[in-house]
Amino acid sequence: MHFSIEYLILTVAILLLVSVLTSKASGKFGIPALLLFLAVGMAAGWEGLGGIRFHDPLAAKSIGILALIFIIFSGGLDTRWENVKPIVLRGISLATVGVLVTAILIGWFATVTLHWSWLEGLLLGAIVSSTDAAAVFSVLRSRRIGLKGHLRPLLEFESGSNDPMAVFLTVGLISIMGADDKNLLHLIPSFILDMGLGALLGYLMPKLMLYVINRIKLEYEGLYPVLTIALVLLTYAVTVTVHGNGFLAVYMAGMVLGNSRFLHKKTLKRFHEGLAWLMQIAMFLSLGLMVEPKQLIPYLGVGLLISLFLILIARPASVWLSLPTRFFSNREKGMIAWMGLRGAAPIILATFPMLAGINQANVMFQLVFFIVVTSVLIQGTTFPLVARWLGVDAPMKANNAYPLELDEVEGIDADIVDVLVPYNAEVVGKRIFEIGIPKDCLVVLISKGEGFVIPNGTTVLDGGEVLLVLANKTDLAQLQRIIARQKKSEPQEEEARQRE
Amino acid sequence: MRIMDFLSEKNITVELKAKNKKEVIEELTDLLVKNGNVADKKKMVQILMEREELGSTGIGQGIAIPHGKSETVKELAAAFGLSKSGVTFEALDGEPVYIFFLLAAPEGTAGTHLKALARISGLLKDKYFRKKLLAAQSVADVVEVIQEEEKAAH
Repeated sequence: MHFSIEYLILTVAILLLVSVLTSKASGKFGIPALLLFLAVGMAAGWEGLGGIRFHDPLAAKSIGILALIFIIFSGGLDTRWENVKPIVLRGISLATVGVLVTAILIGWFATVTLHWSWLEGLLLGAIVSSTDAAAVFSVLRSRRIGLKGHLRPLLEFESGSNDPMAVFLTVGLISIMGADDKNLLHLIPSFILDMGLGALLGYLMPKLMLYVINRIKLEYEGLYPVLTIALVLLTYAVTVTVHGNGFLAVYMAGMVLGNSRFLHKKTLKRFHEGLAWLMQIAMFLSLGLMVEPKQLIPYLGVGLLISLFLILIARPASVWLSLPTRFFSNREKGMIAWMGLRGAAPIILATFPMLAGINQANVMFQLVFFIVVTSVLIQGTTFPLVARWLGVDAPMKANNAYPLELDEVEGIDADIVDVLVPYNAEVVGKRIFEIGIPKDCLVVLISKGEGFVIPNGTTVLDGGEVLLVLANKTDLAQLQRIIARQKKSEPQEEEARQRE
Repeated sequence: MRIMDFLSEKNITVELKAKNKKEVIEELTDLLVKNGNVADKKKMVQILMEREELGSTGIGQGIAIPHGKSETVKELAAAFGLSKSGVTFEALDGEPVYIFFLLAAPEGTAGTHLKALARISGLLKDKYFRKKLLAAQSVADVVEVIQEEEKAAH
């Protein structure tokens, strides 16, 4: 080691900083942020300005698997079951049959153009067969365009859930290539075992996770993210140990958690979103560092050719074959096909053959690089045009969240609740301090006319007003009882109001 | 914010059949589901009933404003219902309820939800407005009464 830890830290800091800053440019120029991270890596690499030498497939694979675990988990966490439910079977078909069709077609094309063996071709196909959630959604977000109907949830679900299938095919093919008996049919029983155990543990582990998170009562809130990191890694490790699909288990665990209630949910979701970003950046940076542009030149032609074949033939074919019904119109299927952006997963998977000592591993790595870059560049930048052309675009909904919602916190069972003041309530006309608000109750806002005021003890209540109250359950019930009390006499209506 | 911005004519009925709290909440939620404002009826009804358990939204004078936030709601939407015979709603004043405004808001929109709620309860405070609403014979009548009131208020 000729460089010190301080130098290493400085390098990492600068690389991350530059990556984060370039993401701002992506919004301006419509280039997906991931490509910019890649460019930063290349610029910092051996043949670029930085001159950093990084060629360690084992390190890259290890970082890659770790990264993929958290990227997939975060994807699951953000998936809303409500939206996915209507299309779940179609999504699964796209994530399994679709992935398989893509892999086979690319495999065939590789045997034709590169004169590779069928197994080598299929391996390349498997590596690039899954689409990337981060790429798809960074594009959707940065262009501020929405998609109609079920398209967005489908793409979200597909891109999150097809990585396990791609990983299975890649690992399976590599093991067959190393075996004496090269029979593809061996993949079928291992597929059932792999996915079955993955799904089983993906169902069981989140139950354990929820139990632990809600019951453990940690002294420090900052330990909860650490706890979830541990639980996610445990889910992956346990599943892989019993020969199940760890990524499937992690994705399902994320989805179950994302749709359940647990302590510090908002904080933890934000944390995992940040972690997923860090992992994406780390992945693309290390790929950029590993690529040696001079080595790419011989593969320029064939790389582009395979990429175009993927975009124009393999992906559309896989979409139409795995979605045979008319649930989605042809225009919508066209959009789904065009949103087949490749991303982190192929890059990570491309390091697998390197370590397994497969003949074409180096070439594969270069080709995967081409395929990912061109896919993100071509499909990513033209996506708004294509969406408009196919007539499936929709205005993006503005997310006007108010700072008025509470995260569930262990220790207090307080919540923010709205309370209506009845028109003929005893409390009407009284000042807040007079009505005997219970101890653990705080009136945060009161609607007055068209707006809201932050009350103090002397604010007078009026019928029909809405109070926003921070309270625990017992005291809230007591407050409700106080507010609900009716005046004995007939209501003194707001006759003052002049009409005509 | 105007009520007619989030109350579609399709979500208005002047002939509620329901006799009790659960039924009326289901009947009005049905309208929201039918017109695509709410995806999951069961979930929405459950959320609205949970809110009722915290304290009845039947705030007296024959009025109830059941409301709730849920992921199953696409964007802020209201349903309006009139009951000719009155519904037992466990109202705070113990009287039957005739006028219903059901408000459904998506998760994460506490601000708009609260504004809409305040707007509805503010308008209904006016006795004459309530009388006019009660006298409505058709959906068109209801729309007219609300629109007129909102014009006057603005």
